[in-house]
Amino acid sequence: MPMAGAIRWQTALTALEPGDELARRRLGRGAAMSPHLSPDLVSDAQQLLAYTFMVHALIAASIVAVMAAVTGWFMVLRRESFAGHTLSVMAFPGAAAAILAGIPVAFGYFAFSGGAALVIGAGSVRRGRGGGVQAALTGTVQAAALALGFLLLGVYGGLLESPTSLLFGSFLGISATQVVSLAVLAVGVLAFFALVGRPLLFASVDGAVASAHRVPVKALSISFMVVLGLTAAAIAQVTGALLVLALLVAPPATAMQLTPRIGVSLLLSILTALVTVWLGLGLAYFTNYAAGFFITTVAFTIYLAARLIGTLAWRPRREMVGPRPPSKADGLRHASVEG
Amino acid sequence: MLGALAAAAAMLALAACGSQQPRSAGGGRLQVVAAENFWGSIAAQLGGDRVDVHSIIVNPATDPHEYEPTPSDARAIAASQITIVNGIGYDEWALRLLAAESQPPHKVLDVGRLLHLQAGANPHQWYSPESVQRVIDAITASYTRLRPRQAAYFAARRRSFETVALAGYHALIAKIRQRYAGVPVGYSESIFRPLGEALGLKLITPYSFAKATAEGAEVTAAEREQVDAQARRREIAVWVLNSQNVTPEVRRVDEIVRAAHIPIVTITETLSPASEDFQQWQASQLRRLAAALQQAAG
Repeated sequence: MPMAGAIRWQTALTALEPGDELARRRLGRGAAMSPHLSPDLVSDAQQLLAYTFMVHALIAASIVAVMAAVTGWFMVLRRESFAGHTLSVMAFPGAAAAILAGIPVAFGYFAFSGGAALVIGAGSVRRGRGGGVQAALTGTVQAAALALGFLLLGVYGGLLESPTSLLFGSFLGISATQVVSLAVLAVGVLAFFALVGRPLLFASVDGAVASAHRVPVKALSISFMVVLGLTAAAIAQVTGALLVLALLVAPPATAMQLTPRIGVSLLLSILTALVTVWLGLGLAYFTNYAAGFFITTVAFTIYLAARLIGTLAWRPRREMVGPRPPSKADGLRHASVEG
Repeated sequence: MLGALAAAAAMLALAACGSQQPRSAGGGRLQVVAAENFWGSIAAQLGGDRVDVHSIIVNPATDPHEYEPTPSDARAIAASQITIVNGIGYDEWALRLLAAESQPPHKVLDVGRLLHLQAGANPHQWYSPESVQRVIDAITASYTRLRPRQAAYFAARRRSFETVALAGYHALIAKIRQRYAGVPVGYSESIFRPLGEALGLKLITPYSFAKATAEGAEVTAAEREQVDAQARRREIAVWVLNSQNVTPEVRRVDEIVRAAHIPIVTITETLSPASEDFQQWQASQLRRLAAALQQAAG
């Protein structure tokens, strides 16, 4: 029976009864096996949303994108991208520990990223916030955590779900519960920024002056680190541990290239992140290749374009203004270029 | 920010209302997806022309443990009315895809759950003639549940599958059991154990070694020593090798086996060649095993 393994969609289509209208729509034009991208955006969107798994993926990715864009914006401003990367790779030992303990993988992500955030946050505050101390501590934590993850895999020994999906993510198979828990977390994270966004911004741009104004700089940096850890853990569920930075760094860096205005920059960052995940998932859906690649490539392309626009649009204006005392906005731009 | 999030979520939620599970109507071919082609082949033969079966893992070169599903796999599973998975930790990826949507009851036929086997048990149940029989019963039962009016057709398909299609497979098992029961054999991976037991062979390779090969885990020094010694001293009459999962450890044992001139029988994890059906594939493996046993026994 050479044909035993193949679905004969054409016959399936003719055999359907009128009641199977929905199945017919899906099977029609081979949609179930190979949807095709067309110039008709409405048809593309319909194909994208024809399956619950894809709807879940899009909602989860959108939630994660908004969180990433806002948290990442502050992270880039505070030049803590390395800490962000470390907190993302925590997903690997986190997942291994969770599998070993027989609990859902997401718990492992949050426990490890949150825990490492506390260590990095508290450790670098006590020693005084020299960038070098934090980077060294972060690097040490990262190496230790990766080694622990490898050990835990060895201890578990059993069949493990492919490590590739832990590292590079999978947007297939996101459950409704997962979507709800991501949404709850996102509300918490955004509430954090709504509450302490202003003092955090002040502390991030100029810690010494903020301290003099009795802004609790230490408490803010530790709590921000924890929020960063939770955000990274959430992103890792969609993009995998290694590609978290595509959402955490690229969209805010893009926004900061385009505008010095804080509100606009934040909104641009969110918009960029949303466009990135939508395009990334859409391309993965239609081409049948990994979403991680497309999300990263889209993020990188948008960043390049913004950088080009930023270079063209900013240079002449700055020359026109000439030397002037540094402002908050300058702090922002410098952070984005160097951070 | 909250507004943007809420708006995006609301938009997608609205769009989501348009997409629900396909209802299984009274007629039409049943859409069945099998995670692996050994179960898919059986399901296709039991369903005849009333069922369309699509198997996801068909390539004998793929390691099913490490399969990474694609969006089209997710679509096929979502659109199917019955999804057959092996379970027992063998195809977690398929269960993950199934978790993405609320499933209608009885859609998933999980072989592990059917056989009451927990994760950690031997997942290779398609190598157990007894388990295969129970899966046949379960597949026909789910077809009949979804298409009660075609119960007679499915019953006839099952009878002919069991008595005609599987006749050669059962005869070979009986013949080997009768002639070679008690013969000591070695095996590289836990996949052969259910069949080896059904054949009455004496499986002297430590099970922990065969299990470690299947799971990609480390082999202890004591196990390695024992397996090597069994080969060197020619305590095993035949060495059964799963060519779809050859670890460096297995390759090493293989060389010792070769040096000791012990016959090697190669078996595979999934249908090989992929165009064969379950019983052709199993029968040709059994024939090779019988030939090797004969060569060893003289």
